[in-house]
Amino acid sequence: MTVSQRQGPSRVDRAPQGDLAQVIDLILDKGLVIDVFVKVSLVGIELVTIDARIVVASVDTYLRFAEATNRLDLHQKGGKDLGQVVGGLTEGVTQGGAKGKTKGMIEAGKEKFDDLRDERRSRKEREA
Amino acid sequence: MSTATYIYAVVGAEVELPEGLAPVGGGDEVAIIDHGRLGAVVSDLARDRPLGGRDDLIAHERVVNTLARATTVLPMRFGGVVENDTAVVDELLGDHHDYFVWALEQLDGCRQFVLHGRYDQDELVSSILAADAEIRELSDSVRDADPDATYYERIRLGEAISVHVDRIRAADAGFARERLEPFAVAVAPKDPAEEDSALELALLVHRDRLADFEQAVDALGDEWDGRVRLRLIGPVAPYDFLPEPTGES
Repeated sequence: MTVSQRQGPSRVDRAPQGDLAQVIDLILDKGLVIDVFVKVSLVGIELVTIDARIVVASVDTYLRFAEATNRLDLHQKGGKDLGQVVGGLTEGVTQGGAKGKTKGMIEAGKEKFDDLRDERRSRKEREA
Repeated sequence: MSTATYIYAVVGAEVELPEGLAPVGGGDEVAIIDHGRLGAVVSDLARDRPLGGRDDLIAHERVVNTLARATTVLPMRFGGVVENDTAVVDELLGDHHDYFVWALEQLDGCRQFVLHGRYDQDELVSSILAADAEIRELSDSVRDADPDATYYERIRLGEAISVHVDRIRAADAGFARERLEPFAVAVAPKDPAEEDSALELALLVHRDRLADFEQAVDALGDEWDGRVRLRLIGPVAPYDFLPEPTGES
């Protein structure tokens, strides 16, 4: 099967990763599942991801609503910045008030990663 | 402070870590523990800290997918924490060495992409109205009527439209798969998440076919211009294509 050469810019959006809900879909449901594919003794660290999943799913909905209201220009009425609302909500519910910056996390995720690498293999060397 | 070892992924032995990876849970650094032909990508994690906030999830995802852009990885599911580095070697890499090596070979040179498609809802609904006279009549009958009085009619209208949407979606998913499958090592359809989702397709693509694959995606985007907006995410780690242990390996 051949694909004909196309003209002009692509009509397909490209992104290194999906929005938060899609990310969570991947990393909570998929991947090598310890204790299913492979057996290791897990340390009992409290996991709060179930809450996170619910909240994050809603957050993405809120963001879409926000996008819609943006289009309608309601933004100019001057409410609280959405980033703060969403960040506060997520952190508050999932971490029981634990501090945590959400600022720029999604944006940061979109940054191109440069290819700089170093030689470290730190942990092994340190303990050898 | 008592720490445990958080595991992100298993990689081949010669892999170099990209610079500047931020660990989950505010640990010092992301590092690699070597064992045999494998490496485990890990960081320290405080034991008394709950895990799973938004920052943690994003940190995990960034580490794994940054690695995935550079090399072949077996991503761990979020939240894999073991006692210490010795446990990583003894229980994870040691006990499953041959399976991991085999799985890395299976996925060698391959990257996962996820293709999302979203309908232009106006276009979609207009096309359904144009195709179905009964729906047109129903739509006309409720248009200027009192919403409360036409409650059940409106439900009937929405339901009739959604039957069409399901049919169109199935056809589009089949069409996209047909167009892209020749360029993929494997394809895994996922359930569309939302009402205006047209498509959600995970694809495993070998780097030798990457240019052809992207061209085919662009061609699909052209063909569906105005109808379906496509979004290609990746490359990400091959979450949807991890080979299951066969028992022998």
